[in-house]
Amino acid sequence: MATKTLKTAQSIRRFAMVIDAKKCINCKACVVACKAENQVPLGVFRNWIGEEASGEYPRLRMSFDPEQCHHCADPSCVRVCPTGASWQREDGIVLVKEDDCIGCKYCIIACPYDARYHNPETHTVGKCTFCSHRVDRGEVPACVETCPSKVRVFGDLNDPKSQLHQLLATRRYEVKNPQTGNGPQLYYLL
Amino acid sequence: MERRTFMEIIGAGSMILPPLACNFRRPVAAGPTFLDGIATTCELCPNKCSVLAVVKDGHITKLNPNPENPKSRGMLCARGNAAVQQVYDPDRLKQPLIRVGARGEGKWRPASWDEAFDYTAKKLSDIKAKHGPEGTLWSSTEGFQEIFFKNLGQAFGSPNVMRHPSLCLASVNLAYSMTFGTVPSFDLLNADYVIMSGANRFESIITPDTMDLIGGTMERKAKLIYLDPRFTVTASKADEWYPIKPGTDMAFILAMMNVIITENRYDKAFVESVTVGFEQLAEHVKPYTPEWAEGETEIPAQDIARIARAFSDAAPRAVFYAGRRSSWYQNDFQMRRAQALLNAIVGNWDRQGGMVPNQKIAKGEFLVLPWDDPKASRVDEVEKAFPLASAKDGVYLPLRENVLKGQPYPVKGWMIYKQDPLHALPDQGKTMKMLDQMEFVGVIDIAMSDTAWYADVVFPESHYLERTDPIEVMPGIWPAAVYRQQVVKPIHDTKPCLEIAQGLAKRLGLSDYFDYTIEQWVEAEAKELPVQNGLAHMKQRGVVAVSQPKYGATLNPVHRFLTKSGKIEIFSERLKEAGQDPLPVYTTPVQPSGGRFRLVLGRKATITHATLTNLPWLHEHNPENDLWIHPEPAAKLNIRSGDLLDVSSSVGQVRIKARVTQEIRPDCVFMLHGFGKKSPWLKRVHNVGAADSVLLETAWDKVSGNAAMHETFVKVVKV
Repeated sequence: MATKTLKTAQSIRRFAMVIDAKKCINCKACVVACKAENQVPLGVFRNWIGEEASGEYPRLRMSFDPEQCHHCADPSCVRVCPTGASWQREDGIVLVKEDDCIGCKYCIIACPYDARYHNPETHTVGKCTFCSHRVDRGEVPACVETCPSKVRVFGDLNDPKSQLHQLLATRRYEVKNPQTGNGPQLYYLL
Repeated sequence: MERRTFMEIIGAGSMILPPLACNFRRPVAAGPTFLDGIATTCELCPNKCSVLAVVKDGHITKLNPNPENPKSRGMLCARGNAAVQQVYDPDRLKQPLIRVGARGEGKWRPASWDEAFDYTAKKLSDIKAKHGPEGTLWSSTEGFQEIFFKNLGQAFGSPNVMRHPSLCLASVNLAYSMTFGTVPSFDLLNADYVIMSGANRFESIITPDTMDLIGGTMERKAKLIYLDPRFTVTASKADEWYPIKPGTDMAFILAMMNVIITENRYDKAFVESVTVGFEQLAEHVKPYTPEWAEGETEIPAQDIARIARAFSDAAPRAVFYAGRRSSWYQNDFQMRRAQALLNAIVGNWDRQGGMVPNQKIAKGEFLVLPWDDPKASRVDEVEKAFPLASAKDGVYLPLRENVLKGQPYPVKGWMIYKQDPLHALPDQGKTMKMLDQMEFVGVIDIAMSDTAWYADVVFPESHYLERTDPIEVMPGIWPAAVYRQQVVKPIHDTKPCLEIAQGLAKRLGLSDYFDYTIEQWVEAEAKELPVQNGLAHMKQRGVVAVSQPKYGATLNPVHRFLTKSGKIEIFSERLKEAGQDPLPVYTTPVQPSGGRFRLVLGRKATITHATLTNLPWLHEHNPENDLWIHPEPAAKLNIRSGDLLDVSSSVGQVRIKARVTQEIRPDCVFMLHGFGKKSPWLKRVHNVGAADSVLLETAWDKVSGNAAMHETFVKVVKV
């Protein structure tokens, strides 16, 4: 569909991400692409890949877990922000207004996913923006585009024709820490 | 935006492109740019992925994947993304340098290009006067401008133009081409059953194989069987992982053939019509039973038999994947031959999901005046010692032996392009001796590599994003031609390799051979691309990919394979004539004793070559290398993770931290490549971790002369 039709007549867009972690090869392409796209300083990350190894030689297992901000429906980071710097767009993308951030780190503590960091250069809080500047141009986030195995699928939950919608309709999935009540919008395929 | 809309926007030529699974949405920019970036081609590893460079105010801000290239399939890996940082890396070489102190002392003076050219030309001419042109060695690794460097060496009259394959995949290429007359690709996108032996395809990324394998194993539930002494990411994704005893891969393959032939599971019709020597093979593999192979490989006989049956059941959509990075043992060629024969007898040749001969894309050629052939023969004596190997690429390790001995003649000048022999070759101490005995060493590179640190003159090359390169054709099942065009002007006083070659040529009296510009060269190449307005197309889109996969073109009675018999050579008369085994004969490899370990090597998705470890965005994922050691021997040696270890082989010793991990066989140790640098100008990895090349002993494959990288045993002692 053309970019404009992402916004349907009935509903506004609600951006989310589906992650097929089984396809992840921990190659860090997403992590480096994010750094390049968003000028994230060394030592801190907007996205990362968890690694879990188990078993006894030679019966070993290893799984990878791509992680980042979950762009929750009811984000606790926004609720605790004393200055309103943490805010949420109508389309669900959670952002930080750098000018309003006083670097108090409440939001870092409030985030159940440890998705926020303190920027050592600006002394404000940084996090994944879903590459909202790219999304607003009709593109997908840098991590999604660059991924060799296309682990991440980005799209509009309200668009029934989107690949994201179809994956959620046809595959089993889970969200992480649903008990927090934050309503996370990163869907992990099982 | 749907693919169709997209193609209508970008124009008419697009309808001949193969459909790609890409889910991008972009606005289309007007002018010379395609989509919203300048189309170019990545250079951080040999894959040649297509890239769109985003430039703002003359500054490159981001590299995005160009989905037009069916080989890179719309992705850009971590290394490719980090190339931006390489351009603006403060550690880059910024102007020509001439050594003033002792070699390796680190005393340099900046020089003008004229001075650096004059100085180098004088040194090369002096050596020529004293030792003849054969007294110089010209070595390089692959790259789009390598041709100009090679041409300069040849025009100078040196027979010693040395390329990198004998440090890489020469044994694989020779084994497959001696069997099939060509080196095929593996159709992993469509294969149902894949066996990989040491080819860690999820960490050592090869396009499109890595992506196709993910598609295969994840989307189509293809079976992946993986043999490796290490538990890698590929092992974690495989259906079955076997920590095979190192050096015994051929035993596994021979036993598979034993089962497949004994149980009549081979493709009879195929074998009868297009191969020669099957009867000899059937006889040859009789003693190689799965029970026998169990003793060699430590893989249960019943598993070998089961895998052989499943493999032949899945054929022709079944492949024993060739692998790629370097040879491992001194029998590497014969091990790869065994793979090739296994593939041949199940009839996966030129079939969907099997091995497919490569398609190519036509391109034009810029004609240069030919120079006289060199009068002397090569110093590595490749024609005599390795008559089946590629004489034009040479054999690096035998060459080093001869240069050190001064036989058959002295080699006293060494020009190096885009290569770091101190890390690329095993036995760094020996390479250092070779450097030491040179009267002159000149290096062309973008950063101060370890070899550059020991050179006499260093020429800074422009980064790939700062220069225009020749058009390169990448053969494959999905062939493509790619173009690397200048994205930004050089930010330092650097030059592309062609201009460096021209500067030297002028002073060596060879100007006639280099009397052209890169634009003329590219124009000649673009003229014959199978697309209208080739050059404009390349400038806008960076890639031509016009062919659909073609299967079965060679499967007809009149097709002649490019072998002596015109058929697939199971039994090789040519090998027999050359005094080699015409069928792969197995010998039990020597195993480490006396508490020693076999040193195995491998790659990671963020590191391909030694040069990448200093890039901050990649470095932060691999700040230091360590030695993987299994908990069982670690306990005996009282080693815990983080302990400092002295690791020694017969040729060198390094100090490195321990990583006690279950993810390796108890008789092996492993370390990553690219650390322990001597050059202080690579400050993140200078004296950090350890260099594998210090430990590796000199050994080569007997047929191809390819460096054998897994023949070193090391002693590990806690400091």
